Amino acid sequence: MERRVGRDGDQAMKDDQHRAPLSKEAFVEWLTREGSTRYHDHHPFHKLMHEGNLTKVQLQQWVLNRYYYQTRIPIKDALIVSKSEDPSFRRTWLHRIQDHDGQQEGEGGLTSWLELARGVGLDVEEVRSLRSVLPGVRLACDGYVQFVRDSSLLEAVASSLTELFAPTLMSHRIEAWKHHYPWVSSDALGYFQMRIACASLDSKQAVEFVVQHALTYELQERCVRALIKKAEILWHLLDCLHMTNRMTGDISRPQLSPKVRLRFDRRTGRYLLLYPETGLELSRTATEIARLCTGEWTVDDIAQYLAQIHTEISPGEIMRDVRDFLKTLAGRGLLQGFK
Amino acid sequence: MKNEYRPYTLIAELTYRCPLRCPYCSNPLGYAGHGNELDTDTWLRVFQEAEALGVVQLNLTGGEPLLRDDLERLIERASRLELYTNLITSGIPLTFERLSRFATLGLNCVQVSVQSSRSTESDRIAGAPSFHRKLEVMQWVASLELPLTLNVVLHRGNIGEIAELIALAERVSADRLELANAQYLGWALKNRAALLPTREQVETARTIAADARERLRGTMEVLFVTPDYYSVHPKSCMDGWGRRFIVVNPEGLALPCHLAHTLPGLRFDNVTKRHLAAIWHHSDGFNQFRGDGWLPDACRSCDRHSKDFGGCRCQAFHVTGNAGATDPACSLSPDHGHIESARSQASHLAGVPILFDYRTGRGFSQA
Repeated sequence: MERRVGRDGDQAMKDDQHRAPLSKEAFVEWLTREGSTRYHDHHPFHKLMHEGNLTKVQLQQWVLNRYYYQTRIPIKDALIVSKSEDPSFRRTWLHRIQDHDGQQEGEGGLTSWLELARGVGLDVEEVRSLRSVLPGVRLACDGYVQFVRDSSLLEAVASSLTELFAPTLMSHRIEAWKHHYPWVSSDALGYFQMRIACASLDSKQAVEFVVQHALTYELQERCVRALIKKAEILWHLLDCLHMTNRMTGDISRPQLSPKVRLRFDRRTGRYLLLYPETGLELSRTATEIARLCTGEWTVDDIAQYLAQIHTEISPGEIMRDVRDFLKTLAGRGLLQGFK
Repeated sequence: MKNEYRPYTLIAELTYRCPLRCPYCSNPLGYAGHGNELDTDTWLRVFQEAEALGVVQLNLTGGEPLLRDDLERLIERASRLELYTNLITSGIPLTFERLSRFATLGLNCVQVSVQSSRSTESDRIAGAPSFHRKLEVMQWVASLELPLTLNVVLHRGNIGEIAELIALAERVSADRLELANAQYLGWALKNRAALLPTREQVETARTIAADARERLRGTMEVLFVTPDYYSVHPKSCMDGWGRRFIVVNPEGLALPCHLAHTLPGLRFDNVTKRHLAAIWHHSDGFNQFRGDGWLPDACRSCDRHSKDFGGCRCQAFHVTGNAGATDPACSLSPDHGHIESARSQASHLAGVPILFDYRTGRGFSQA
């Protein structure tokens, strides 16, 4: 019977018990291969981001949600530190916590991230409060901390190896943001800049540790699995954002026809949407929708934006309202770029 | 006392003058004897008063509004008042430069009418060579990215061209196509025998228009206005008397519809003498047929009166002699026989060549 490299279940692991460990180079190559193919730079959301196809609101959503991940990193690193009996390792690893938390108030990666939040036009206190983080994002990040808490020191360190791929992504991201989102000041991009250097150093140390300690094939395989697990957590985080962006699954970008005029009606306190011979009196929500029909916002953006400002209304209802209203407009020939 | 009614649209009939002589013209028959036109300042004041009263749509019409050389100033003010301004025109006389000026000043849309899809026939009905110029004007409208409504008054002579008219509207990228059967009032009533189509003609045209409406939904609005001579119930003329529209005619009379002053016994006020709001709320003429207090028995007992408001007062008067009667176009009207007889005459005259009484009067040179 052909021997398979087990990846799930104890039985498969036992089969590999007596397999010789891979050479250092082959092990690193394996880690790199498994990690890079699963890394979230391939995620459609990142593609949209780097090709300049995210709206301001979508970019804000990403910054706000990803901040929750940032806040989990020092906690995760503290757990890793607590697993080690080696003062030298602990000393090295503590740097990571300091990188994120700073030596004092107003420094460090978390502060830089809040600068980024300010730079994309978010309310920093809102971001810091973590109250608007998507449930799925929270679950993914908490899952990472839980994984580190439950696993061995070796696996916990191996799970940090996604950083091997971070420098490339960060450089790419800085370029893309400068080009596509020039409204974000370059000062706000400091976090990404800083990570390019930090991540190279950190991942180098982590690789060395993993290579030194994964002395059996079984341990090497556990390291690979830990890395895959981590890559999947990052991937899931973007899935959550991407799904929210796709509330309606509609990425067409409706635009009010040039014949339409919106005007405030003093007598009713509402907006009127005027077009040849007649007009529509708009409700508050309809007014908000109409004003977002600029050709820049997708139907999803519009639904998502309204969901953010109308937390009292269910997303499903908002989605329906948006579609219904856009259909009404389109049926009257008042909308371009929407079928 | 203020009433619940709010005018949304002001129809400003800037002049009765017109270079065309269409035999179904909606202007009153005796217009040649009318006095002077309102001056610029009065119109500007009327726009302001109308906006304050709740008006948001402005139709600049006539006659031919292009004959007013103050049209630029009127459009500019309307735009400043955020009125959605629609120029209703034959397109004659106009230059591209003037139309661009209108667009820059804030004109919102343009309605051009043709009399037929065929140039010789269109010119014959208009009583003046005009078709080719109209096509050119429609291209200008499109090139300035102004929404274009193509309007065609339908009658016996052109209702068979409905498919060609739709094709024409598509060719000129119209935004809206109004296929409106003539209203048999004024000049059209005088020419009714020559104009009224047969039921078969109307049905065929309606079917073709309904297909086009579906096919072009979202691209071009296709409107088919059935002649009320062939409908079971009357139209809700002007959406009801004094409910949503104010017409101000060239001399300054403020009216619920463009022919209301031809009804005997009604008193209407002139905007030069009284504030538009006072006229709208308090004038006898506007209040005469508002609400349902005035309704004749046939309408009062019918639950459709909340939809059609008893139909058209002018048609009631011109056909029955009583402006307060049920619109005779209604099959429930005791006077419906007049309409039936006009229909059978139309069917009897089917195929007989048509001779019009052309609109005559001052304001154009007679060919």
